[in-house]
Amino acid sequence: MTLEVIAIWMALLLYAASTAMSVIGVVFARDKLAARAVAVAGAGLACQTLSLGLRWVRVGHGPYLGFYEVAGALVFCTVAAFVLVAFRRPRLASAGIGIMPVALLLLGGSMLAQSSEVAMTAKLTSFWLFVHVAFANMAFGAFALSFGCAIAFVARARSRTGAWAKRLEKLPAQEALENLTVRYVLVGFFFWGIMIVTGAIWANEAWGRYWGWDPIETWSLIVWIIYAVYLHARFALRWSGEKLAWFAIVAMPLALFALIGIPAAFDTPHAGIGGYGRDL
Amino acid sequence: MTAGFLKRCTGLLASPRLATLLLAAFGAWAALASIVGAQHAFTSPPFLVLVSMLAVSTGVCAWQRTRVAVRRAGMLKRVRELLPDAGEAQWDFAIECDPSLDTAAVLDIAEAALARAGLAARRDGTCVCAASPAWSVWGSPVFHWALVAAIVVIPLGGLVRSSGQMGLAVGQTAPDQPSSYGVLDQGPLRDWGDVTRQIRVDEFDVNCSAGGVDRGPTPTVSVLDADGEVIASQLVYPNKTLKTGSLAVYPADYGLATTVELTDASGTETKRVRQLVDFSGSAEGGTAPMSALVLEDANGETEYRMLVSVPLDPAEGGGYLARLPEAPRARIKVENASGGTAFDEEVRPGETVALPVGGTLRLLDVGYYARLQLVDDPSIPVLYLVLALAVVGLGVTTLAEQMLLVASPVETAERIRLLARLRLWRTLSVSRAEIEAELRAGLQAPSAEEA
Repeated sequence: MTLEVIAIWMALLLYAASTAMSVIGVVFARDKLAARAVAVAGAGLACQTLSLGLRWVRVGHGPYLGFYEVAGALVFCTVAAFVLVAFRRPRLASAGIGIMPVALLLLGGSMLAQSSEVAMTAKLTSFWLFVHVAFANMAFGAFALSFGCAIAFVARARSRTGAWAKRLEKLPAQEALENLTVRYVLVGFFFWGIMIVTGAIWANEAWGRYWGWDPIETWSLIVWIIYAVYLHARFALRWSGEKLAWFAIVAMPLALFALIGIPAAFDTPHAGIGGYGRDL
Repeated sequence: MTAGFLKRCTGLLASPRLATLLLAAFGAWAALASIVGAQHAFTSPPFLVLVSMLAVSTGVCAWQRTRVAVRRAGMLKRVRELLPDAGEAQWDFAIECDPSLDTAAVLDIAEAALARAGLAARRDGTCVCAASPAWSVWGSPVFHWALVAAIVVIPLGGLVRSSGQMGLAVGQTAPDQPSSYGVLDQGPLRDWGDVTRQIRVDEFDVNCSAGGVDRGPTPTVSVLDADGEVIASQLVYPNKTLKTGSLAVYPADYGLATTVELTDASGTETKRVRQLVDFSGSAEGGTAPMSALVLEDANGETEYRMLVSVPLDPAEGGGYLARLPEAPRARIKVENASGGTAFDEEVRPGETVALPVGGTLRLLDVGYYARLQLVDDPSIPVLYLVLALAVVGLGVTTLAEQMLLVASPVETAERIRLLARLRLWRTLSVSRAEIEAELRAGLQAPSAEEA
């Protein structure tokens, strides 16, 4: 338990350091600092993996229940996706300026919540829980990446000349950044779709109905439709540039709200994931 | 005029702008309804009209995408036919190569350059090709058709679907007919005529544990055919549904059941009934009867109402234990037509008491009852298939790239050029400019701007 707590605090500190390094690296045009921010984020990820793993063994289930676990898993997927992408495309390290603050705030917020374990109930003991939650987390990780790329796109689009243009010149070309944003939205859209479908199948297996317009079902569908509108705007209406980037920037917080805001704000059968003491 | 009108309608429905607007309207409606908590908004006529329009628009869109996919798949299958023809100037870009290079060397360099650009290129005779597999173009049509199918299957399933709750005491068998249900929702085309099965609760384990997990109060349920032969039987707890054919049986709740025998003044048994009793935090003794037993006079007028409850054992820290009491007993309360209490006594199993209406009541037993949720929806397997198709289609649409590149060197006495035809239908990993730049760099040709 002590090592688990130490590891999560280490992760928080390393994410904070990575965030600061990303910001300083971009603002003061220190490319190496931005690249090292990725390595520091990777170290934080290792610490978080250790903490999650120890908790998994201790409580006997994955990070599915309670705000602490759910938000932690979202942060894990977000940072893992960022580190993986930045490792493969070093020029995207600067996108950490958009992604790492989100991860830091989310992990910090989760650590303020109650971290005591929520018992696995009979209603939750299902193969579908793992699949459903895993795809929700992966989808959020992809949306967070699209968010980071879109922020980088807008930042550079608004500073074609001057000091900021120089600071951001190491980023991939605007066209490539836009394509990356769309790619991550596509991946997230696919994973989010699987999350909805597996949730519907699980609901039918557990409750005898596959859709009930429960608030979290409704908002999951709303988020999916928002991203469907984004993709139609991109591919059918040929939107591009800042307008499209702003769309991705605005959509991601809605996905976050659907995942952790709705269970807290609404009375829903998914309330257990908010960790406010209500059973699923 | 009709043909023109139809064409205009189709054009409107096929409009991506309309599709985007409909999607946005759907999202806005759902968000608003969710925020104000208006659940009925999802069954209101404007919403149904919106969904219908979205379905039609998706259908038209799916049809268009199918036509496009057929065309693209044809091109991907006949890549060599797209070989750039120098004479007809059919190319998307041409790169002037070093005259010292021969055709084979240009092809080698082009293949390597395309690999650096992240494209899996292959040599095909005198050209280099990088083409997506033909199936890659089918993702979008499959996804959109699956969406249309889902929008159609869901309401069609609703027409024949039945979903309801049935309370059965342990050992009790009831036919799967509307009269056995306490609550029942059914579609207008639901036909009970050919339903001959029966449902039985065999056992009830109030502390069931399976797979190392406490499953809570769990009944063992059997589905029988018309002859009473068991078709399926199993423990039914959350995430372990009993399924047979299109019927699925879920656990909904549980309570207690009493069996009483009524006799007339001559001692002849007139009635043997099961009374179901629900746990209730607000009721005296911790339980409340689900319904009253009506005792009528010879004219059919209600003379008395008999209410049966089961006083529970107290729980530590207050309240009651939602369990069968250690020493089971039933409280029998008989009210006259004006609501006055005519009889109120506790009776133990096997005991007989005289009733104010004449005759006696004998409590036969007190046990558990299981409230089961029964859903009969033949559309579920079809819907699962449609959803699986939608996921596969969406996966191909979002993850598979759709592109075609064929490049061929054309050599004349004075020069050698690499001519390329390129179709990037859905490719986000690399742009046309990047491909051309990589080829130019490999062939040491001037950049596109310089050229």
